[in-house]
Amino acid sequence: MKRTGFHERRRTERMRDPEFRDEYERARREIEQIDSVVRSLDELRESTGMSKTDLARRIGRNPSSIRRLFTSRSNPELRLVVQIANDLDADIIVVPRHKKRDRRLQSDECASVAAA
Amino acid sequence: MAWRIEYYEQHDGSVPAAKFLDGCPAKIDAQFNAVLDAVAAAPPPRFSGGGKWEAMHGSMGGYYEIRLTGPGREQFRLFCLLENAAPSELRRRGLKAPSVVVINGMRKPHRTTFTDRDYRKHVRALGEDHLANIPRRLAQ
Repeated sequence: MKRTGFHERRRTERMRDPEFRDEYERARREIEQIDSVVRSLDELRESTGMSKTDLARRIGRNPSSIRRLFTSRSNPELRLVVQIANDLDADIIVVPRHKKRDRRLQSDECASVAAA
Repeated sequence: MAWRIEYYEQHDGSVPAAKFLDGCPAKIDAQFNAVLDAVAAAPPPRFSGGGKWEAMHGSMGGYYEIRLTGPGREQFRLFCLLENAAPSELRRRGLKAPSVVVINGMRKPHRTTFTDRDYRKHVRALGEDHLANIPRRLAQ
């Protein structure tokens, strides 16, 4: 009996290609950061006891747009994310991952976004 | 609990989604894998997949797609079904755990659309075959 699934074996095989591996790792970091921001906002909303409908009403949005955002049914729009953060009294901040000197040496992937 | 990622297998043993991914540029293949792994690690209804994982609507209701843009703004899509049920039902279906089942993929030039015939022939027909099989026929 095979101990790992088809997906894991295929991915392991593809990771031998440096182009695939670098892009996979970059994409995972990017996805994790976006997911983290949206989940943080949803947890903050829940901690205040506010329903998705209440939140939508407060920022003048259709309730379905808020439901879609928090359940992965649409691509998150930055403007909507910022509106929600504002209403929940939170900030979206960019945290440099490296010191300024190091950043000059790196042309990409130098910042991460986090919900405060 | 993390979900498993499974690939639908046709009666002749071919795996359409794997064949599609094998034909994609390496970076696109890598991004599809990254989204699948993120979704399986934090499954629905949690937000997951960095905005690239979306529920489909209309005649494609019940399916999920991963939407990526490649070189020359070529559009790549990977279509999936979710399987979640009580443990006894999952066992009956031949699944070890709740699963993201990858059915097939399609690609198209920028600013063009897939027709309903495309979806029916390349996705729904395969998805219906997958769901009709007990236990499920999965790539091993």
